[in-house]
Amino acid sequence: MSVSRDDFSIAFRSALLQRGGAQKFSVLSLIFLALIIFFLDVYGTKFTKPVRSFLNDVVYRVTFLASTPTRFLPQAGKNISSFFNVKEENERLKLELKKYKSLELNVEFLTDENKNLQKILETEYFNKNLSNIVLAKVLVDKNSPFLKSIIINKGTRAGILKGMPVTKDNYLVGRVVETNYLSSRVLLLNDLNSRIPVTLDEGAQAILSGSGTNNPILEYLPEDYETVEDINVFASGKDGIFTSGTPIGITNNDGTVDLFIDPNQLSFVTVNLNVQSKGKL
Amino acid sequence: MAKSSFINKIFNAGPLILLYYLCISEVDTNLEKMFEIFSLNFQIILVYFWVIKRPDIMANGHVFLAGLINDVVMGFPLGISSLSYLIIIFVGTYVRNKSVNTTIASDWFTFFMAMIFSSLLFFSLLNNFSDLSFTYSKIGYNMFFTLFMFPIFWLLFNIYQMTFIGNRDA
Repeated sequence: MSVSRDDFSIAFRSALLQRGGAQKFSVLSLIFLALIIFFLDVYGTKFTKPVRSFLNDVVYRVTFLASTPTRFLPQAGKNISSFFNVKEENERLKLELKKYKSLELNVEFLTDENKNLQKILETEYFNKNLSNIVLAKVLVDKNSPFLKSIIINKGTRAGILKGMPVTKDNYLVGRVVETNYLSSRVLLLNDLNSRIPVTLDEGAQAILSGSGTNNPILEYLPEDYETVEDINVFASGKDGIFTSGTPIGITNNDGTVDLFIDPNQLSFVTVNLNVQSKGKL
Repeated sequence: MAKSSFINKIFNAGPLILLYYLCISEVDTNLEKMFEIFSLNFQIILVYFWVIKRPDIMANGHVFLAGLINDVVMGFPLGISSLSYLIIIFVGTYVRNKSVNTTIASDWFTFFMAMIFSSLLFFSLLNNFSDLSFTYSKIGYNMFFTLFMFPIFWLLFNIYQMTFIGNRDA
């Protein structure tokens, strides 16, 4: 009995303290080091924040470079197939151009009318200034089962702050949750931590909660409200973070929302510098 | 002679290079886009197998560093993945010290134990010390598929070891 206990303690101690050969560090010393780093990072002292920020910037850049081959192959396939469709595409684009030219005058008139009406209403929307929109490239889009986020190539140097809303083609994508000098992390709408006040077509208010899947869920709908298909969902702007009326997606029968922008297909996004959250995640 | 020694070094460094590449690149083993519940933690399979079979090519310091990189890329608190991988190394080294000969079945069972300890520490720390929330079903699926896929990767790594590195097993 005592022999087997000795065996156990020898094997246990050896596993923790063994060094030599390729092992320059013992497991125990590295566990202590990892714990120290972990608690320094969690309780974010003045010293660790800039260090982490610098580390993030460097690693994100390296990640972007390291991921180039994996991005190149699918892109090359797409380019080859589009090369063979050039003629068809050209004809289609010509037709589209014709159509849009005829619509242009109409749009100009409606834009002027819209601006005048917004001036009268003095809405926040009118104050939207294009110089306050930053275009950013998605550096890293690593699909984690626990965190749905992307990393963009603009940070505090471009004026991005924590909490700012992120859009693509004017559709809401998520918001900034971590900023570094040259990069930022954007929490996507489908992440489990994402909660957004929204309004539906008929004026019903709800909270759009990320579920970890591609379709976030509508929560806290009015009592007796029955969700039906194809109802547009917009940001209500009640939290003061997102611009009211920013389109998000359309409803399904089961209370989930199909996002207008596929969170897995982001390459460029825009960050609205006008709005910033004062709260936490 | 020098050339073959260089090639041997490259083959020996293969698992470590793969570990670094998986941690730093966008490549992941999370196939949720195709099959909603499928995700696996490939890194811990990689670390465990090579710690059991050839600890000399999976140095602790490198695994620690790969864990730190993984934390930065994934947005986790720094050090949490390193701790998780170090627990895997610890269990792997203990099993290696205690056993004379290993089989796929014994490795599979001991890997299950290592994964339980490692995941328990990882998610307890994440739950108590960070704002990140996660569903237990996702953790369950992740652990299940990691365990389920272990024998497949065990065979693949074994073939790699036999073909390119050679057997200096315990």
